[in-house]
Amino acid sequence: MKQKSHIKGWLYVLPALVILAIFTLYPIYKSVVMAFYTDYDFFNDIVYAYGFDNFIYLWEDPLFHRALRNTFIYVLGVVPVSIILSLAIAMALNTKINFKPLFRMIYFIPFVTSVVAVSIVWRWIFHGDYGLMNYFLGLVGIDPIRWLTDPNWNMPALIILSIWKGLGYNIIIFLAGLQMVNTQYYHAAQIDGANTWQRFLNVTLPQLAPMTFFISIISIINAFKVFDEVYALFNDRPGVANSALTVVYYMYNKFYGEWDFGVASAAALVLFIIIFIFTMIQMYIGSKRVTY
Amino acid sequence: MKPLSKTFIYTFLIIGSLLMLLPFVWMLLTSIKPSFEVRVMPPIWIPSEFRFDNYLIAFEVAPFATYFMNSMIVTVLSTIGELMTTILAAYAFAKVQFFGKNVLFAILIATMMIPGEMLLIPNFVTLANFQWIDQYEALIIPWLASIFSIFLLRQFFKSVPDELGYAARIDGCTDWRYLWQVMVPIAMPAIITITLLKAIGSWNAFLWPLIVTNSTNMRTLPVGLTAFTSEAGTNYELLMAASAMIILPMIILFVFLQRYIISGVSRSGLKG
Amino acid sequence: MNSKFKLSLVSLASVALLGVGLSQTVNAQDDQIAGGEEVEVVFWHAMNDAHQDWLVEATEEFNSLHDNVTVVLENQGNYGALSQSLLASVRSNTAPTISQAYGEWMLDYEANDQLVDLTDFIENGFDEEEPYEDIFEVFREDNTFGDAVYGLPFNKSTRVLFVNNDLLEEVGVEAPETWDDLLSVSETVYEEAGVIGFGFENGLQHEFPMWVKQAGGEFVDEENNEVLFNSEEGLKALTFINDLINSDFGRIAGEDEYLSGPFTTGDVAMYIGSSAGIPFVENDAGDMNWTTAPVPTDVEAAAPFQGTNITMFASATEGEQEAAFEYMKFLVNGENTVSWAQTTGYLPVRESALESEEWTSYVEENEVFAAPASQFDIGFIEERVPGAFAMKNAMQTSLESMIYEGLDPETTLEEMSQAAQDEIDRAQ
Repeated sequence: MKQKSHIKGWLYVLPALVILAIFTLYPIYKSVVMAFYTDYDFFNDIVYAYGFDNFIYLWEDPLFHRALRNTFIYVLGVVPVSIILSLAIAMALNTKINFKPLFRMIYFIPFVTSVVAVSIVWRWIFHGDYGLMNYFLGLVGIDPIRWLTDPNWNMPALIILSIWKGLGYNIIIFLAGLQMVNTQYYHAAQIDGANTWQRFLNVTLPQLAPMTFFISIISIINAFKVFDEVYALFNDRPGVANSALTVVYYMYNKFYGEWDFGVASAAALVLFIIIFIFTMIQMYIGSKRVTY
Repeated sequence: MKPLSKTFIYTFLIIGSLLMLLPFVWMLLTSIKPSFEVRVMPPIWIPSEFRFDNYLIAFEVAPFATYFMNSMIVTVLSTIGELMTTILAAYAFAKVQFFGKNVLFAILIATMMIPGEMLLIPNFVTLANFQWIDQYEALIIPWLASIFSIFLLRQFFKSVPDELGYAARIDGCTDWRYLWQVMVPIAMPAIITITLLKAIGSWNAFLWPLIVTNSTNMRTLPVGLTAFTSEAGTNYELLMAASAMIILPMIILFVFLQRYIISGVSRSGLKG
Repeated sequence: MNSKFKLSLVSLASVALLGVGLSQTVNAQDDQIAGGEEVEVVFWHAMNDAHQDWLVEATEEFNSLHDNVTVVLENQGNYGALSQSLLASVRSNTAPTISQAYGEWMLDYEANDQLVDLTDFIENGFDEEEPYEDIFEVFREDNTFGDAVYGLPFNKSTRVLFVNNDLLEEVGVEAPETWDDLLSVSETVYEEAGVIGFGFENGLQHEFPMWVKQAGGEFVDEENNEVLFNSEEGLKALTFINDLINSDFGRIAGEDEYLSGPFTTGDVAMYIGSSAGIPFVENDAGDMNWTTAPVPTDVEAAAPFQGTNITMFASATEGEQEAAFEYMKFLVNGENTVSWAQTTGYLPVRESALESEEWTSYVEENEVFAAPASQFDIGFIEERVPGAFAMKNAMQTSLESMIYEGLDPETTLEEMSQAAQDEIDRAQ
């Protein structure tokens, strides 16, 4: 019902707009400004001075560097493995098999469950003495690993949990993409005598490339926001000796632990810039290559 | 396809499925064990007796009934509220011409790339000034509108042919009635999807409720669960029982309505 | 820890003791708090298990004594969560009426005028038989900021050495009294009985001040907000801790979270922990013969007083303040502070209570309570510095690098003191 109706149009959007203006648009402005608060009294909400001190602080804070480094390690650990696994499972699901909906459902279950609750379940699985993980490793002759107390193993534990949790999402998106793979090419390739592997390499993969790229970017963006998993897996701490300190955890500590709103806001702004860069890359390449 | 490769695919998928389900199975098994069968190596898979009262103990030790109620209230109210604002806004963006529409829509879409974590601090300050901290208002009101949902539903509304609207107008149907009696029923699959995604997100939300609740009787389940870990200590059977209380409702919801959830997720993925 | 929840005799005993307290105090209470108007006092705490059970009973008793006053308990889980929730609530004007709080937290709130000065209440509110001055000076000082008093002590613990007598007798050694003894006894137990001799609880950043003081050093300077532990004595303490953890006969709680578990299952012969852990050990120890001993000493004898006070927030109305103060006073009256100590392992906060027949005879029968109370003359309360929360967090990170990543004590100490000083400076 296309019609010129200015007042009506605005009235329809008004309820959503009021909420979004107060809790999305205004805070975007405010969070940028707060990053430049250098002297303020948060008890009484008075700002005495503005400046770049918070960014200088971040630049010099080894803890923030650690948070950035950890986040990158996390991304490198989660994204490739998760994409390879989910692509393999999606392709298996895309063949003519029985119980396809059942399998799809099972793989997707972790995605709908509370991050906090499943992280606590995994904390129990990772228990050094009585955990299932070490039990299974023991069966194949591997000595118990101190997943939760050895700083070197905190990050791998977090990565395993995250891959398990996020697999279903990637599978669903790959499945959607696979259904659009043009099967004509398959037949052509089959006639040419290409085997399964060659077909995958030469036909499926090129067609899935934009999809894979899209999932990578989404995964990277999500990885930069990791918090709940860390909080719950390591019991309200960013791992032993900050070995699982992520950017959002750093922000949370500065904000809610130390009430340093300025530095926390500056960290949030840095987080935004990183995510923004990845989003731009995604949109740029997306506009050029994704054609469906 | 050759039988061998089919066997291989089944084996692969079944092993994968078992790995996906194992944590949940282990959670449920642990949650009904007597405490002396929990911390043992090698693990005891099937408890010698089923202690369902672990759930009751968890309920007694921490006010999970309150947490559960809070989670329900927050989930139901914020889902209904978001649905209302979404339907109205999506309709306007799809079907009503008004001044500034395209600019407004572009601005809203652009903000979708802002990570929600960035808005945490200013929103906390705003709510503190409203005196809403530690109130239901803080848990619900900021979440009564979602640009993502508006976008999703707008796309669906747009695909409804305009001719339908013209016909309705000729029949003397008002815009308002047209929206609720024609558009909404047509868009029901999309609306169900939005509802479910919202409900799941709201039920599982953690960081925001953690920050805006201070008193015990305002906590939602996930926040209550993390608080409970210090009370439960190393009593993993109680921790697993408490975790199951949060996890199971969503699994049940998902199993029955998975079609809508999965279609919503694949669509959100494809939006590019 | 074999089910902390099946709370046994301990809580039953507490109920019985409260009954005694009730019958004796019921007549003494004035029912006209706040002129009889209806008031609700919200009390945030972080007490669990046996500690919480006592508190619930006591609060119910208080409520039943005062028709118009309701004290509502809200458990925040642990001190970390309590501290965060308090700051958030203060910032958002939703503070509770009263809360448990460490001296250093109060320092923060006080700097922002968020607390009620209790001086007037104290001058007029205490009975002559149980005056304010009866409370140990060290605890009163912890609540005194210049001329103002911002709280009353509540749950004050100290650290003691938990000893498995069975194991020590088996290998023929006495409980250690010095650091050197601690090493040799631990080693003997390990070699003769095959059991780890000694364990540290997690969160060593809270215990570290004690070790430094025992080595003859200082932790921080409260006057100048200066970190002092980067010293020869500090290094000695840290090296001692590190060597012990890394030896075959020493460990840290780690994933077990608390050592009361391994201790009661006989997997560690001794550990230093809070006296407030006594009920947990008692609950799980079964037939095991165990006791507590004063913490081993080195150059100096030093044992920290830990645990919180109860402080009152300025957002409370006059009526609430009056009622809350009555409640705070009630929790530490002669009867209650003894009953509390007997149930929980915390210390009586009144001199008269420590000398009372009720307490002394109890200690004679239950010797595990003797060691904590014997440490009053070597007790200290940690200096209050701004930014203590962040300082302890930073210290924890350094300590974990040493314990779990093998960083050497010299570097750790250097890093730790630098990080601690930075946090103090930033908070000013």
